[in-house]
Amino acid sequence: MLQLVDLKKRYGDVVALDGAGFTVERGRILGFLGPNGAGKTTAMRVVFGLVRPDSGSVSWNGGAVGPEERLRFGYMPEERGLYPKMKIRDQLIHFSRLSGLSRQEATEAVDHWLGALGLADRGSAKLEDLSHGNQQRVQLATALAPNPELLILDEPFAGLDPLGVASLTGTLRNLASGGVTIVFSSHQLDLVEDVCEDVAIINEGRVVLSGSLDDIRNRSSKRRLTIDVDGQPWVPPGADATVVDAQGRSHCIVDGDAPIGDLLAAAGAVGTVNTFMFEPPRLTDLFREAVES
Amino acid sequence: MNRWRQVAILAKREFATRATSKPFLVTMGLLVLAILAVGPIVSLLAGGEAEATRIGIAGEEPPGIDRALSDQAAVLEIDISIVRFPDGVAAEQAVTDGDVAVALVDGDEIVFHTDVSSRLLALVGGALTNAVKSATLASLGLSADQVTEIIAPVPYDVVTLEEGDPEEDAKRVGAFVGTIALYISILMFGQFVAMGTVEEKQNRVVEVVLARVRPWQVLVGKVIGIGALGLVQLLLLAGAAYVSAQMADLGDIDLAAIGLPIIAGVVFWFVLGYAFYAFLYAAVGSTVSRQEDLQGAMMLPIALILPGYFIALIAAESPDGLVPTVASMLPPWAPFVMPVRIADGAAAPWEIAVAVVGTVAAVVALVWIGSRVYAGALLRTGGRVKMREAWRAAAD
Repeated sequence: MLQLVDLKKRYGDVVALDGAGFTVERGRILGFLGPNGAGKTTAMRVVFGLVRPDSGSVSWNGGAVGPEERLRFGYMPEERGLYPKMKIRDQLIHFSRLSGLSRQEATEAVDHWLGALGLADRGSAKLEDLSHGNQQRVQLATALAPNPELLILDEPFAGLDPLGVASLTGTLRNLASGGVTIVFSSHQLDLVEDVCEDVAIINEGRVVLSGSLDDIRNRSSKRRLTIDVDGQPWVPPGADATVVDAQGRSHCIVDGDAPIGDLLAAAGAVGTVNTFMFEPPRLTDLFREAVES
Repeated sequence: MNRWRQVAILAKREFATRATSKPFLVTMGLLVLAILAVGPIVSLLAGGEAEATRIGIAGEEPPGIDRALSDQAAVLEIDISIVRFPDGVAAEQAVTDGDVAVALVDGDEIVFHTDVSSRLLALVGGALTNAVKSATLASLGLSADQVTEIIAPVPYDVVTLEEGDPEEDAKRVGAFVGTIALYISILMFGQFVAMGTVEEKQNRVVEVVLARVRPWQVLVGKVIGIGALGLVQLLLLAGAAYVSAQMADLGDIDLAAIGLPIIAGVVFWFVLGYAFYAFLYAAVGSTVSRQEDLQGAMMLPIALILPGYFIALIAAESPDGLVPTVASMLPPWAPFVMPVRIADGAAAPWEIAVAVVGTVAAVVALVWIGSRVYAGALLRTGGRVKMREAWRAAAD
């Protein structure tokens, strides 16, 4: 279990973290969300000792996190970077050994992941000779090869094509079911909704919403209403955050205790109701609400 | 996991990636071949000097000049050969061309090219005087034996109060070459450290590395790995120089025996000097984010190294001078200046001790200061980080 508690970090006048904290249970996948500059990368760097917080703490399975514990963590930084002129297999073995694996363990783990990520025949290629997507895979392999208990991935899906997204999603699910705890940040909220059981939303250095995705959605006082009347968008009075989609339906956020019957009746009074969906808000809705309020 | 094991893994990567690079291997191969060629070439040149000194004679000549010249040459221990020219013009041309070292023209003119060699003047002038006087004595009716007895040189011993060192020149040249090798090696491998540091920052790989190890480990691993490569290169070149010296045939002078202490000195002072400058190079390297900005940042170590090199050159001339003596005990310059003074026999044991202890202490201080600047600057990209900012950032 990873716990970040009340992290604070200030750079001169800029507040990067203002009491941020969240918890991830073993074997769970947490989506770490927030607008640009909200403090995601700083919080991740704190876990790896790359940034020393002014106050607050990070614990792993209840104990403090030091250099020894960090060797069991895998990290994929937002700023991708490896040695461009080094052969990728040598490079992965090097980093795995730095993480404490013996030469033999490192070689086995690296060969396994090169195969699993479709890079088996590229082992002796230099990093700089690989395509962008393959470089991204090598970066991921750097984090995965030391067989970490905790994976922290900063924007792992950025720049991947749909096939790459699907394969990374599968990989993360497999790892989690094997007991690996995973935290990743992303701006692709649909994807997060698809992959994650838990989310933490950070804004201006503070975690404004966190917990299991199902809980959060059900706990919300808002509901998402999707409706079209005679093929035309229709907006009930008092609704906000209205979007009209390409099919001519309107999506709006209404109070959760709004009487459904009254809504349906009001719409029916205008014309024929073709679509009427009243459901818990989506992650996008929750994100906007959390960040904009 | 043992921290030093991680340092060893880091150092090994630094060493291996550079040692297996093609430019490095090619340069090393060429250098070793060039050094190996020096020995035989020196032997050839030295052999050339052993040839007889050529003396020209033209025009009228005193009778018995050949005999007088060879007698005088025997006294002066000069090996000579005599060449005759049809006239003075031809003899002068031969002197100008360097074909003969000196010429006797018409029995009353001794011709040199530019500088008058007193030894050759004594030879030709003495021989001329003897030949002319022998003729005069013979014309006075003395027998040949009497003439020979009068003309024969008076025996005397030549005594020097202090014994000169026939190897002095070789030692001086050796120390000079050693200083240059030391200077180039420290400069070259120090720059490798700075470039390697910037490269990791520029590639952003540093964040991947620092998620596993601490900044001081990266720093020490880099300095050790690159330093080991420098040491290997120096030892290879020194080995080639030793073999080359053994191939050089300089008669009594055993170049290899003279070279050995110089090589040992260069290797020893390389370790100290490199350690000092490598940590400095790493610290300044960590303050920039791109190779293009590195030149400016490297002014600091270069500004320290250059005076050391020049003071070493001064020390070769006057090893007991005030500036060389003081500089040879100060950490930034001791590695360059002290070996020169030691080679000259000018350094007192206590001075050597001060130089070594002082430099080691300075290296320890630089590891500490360098690590802190390194840690503070490593994750900051963009413009150039000021040393002071980096120092403070490391406290965060």
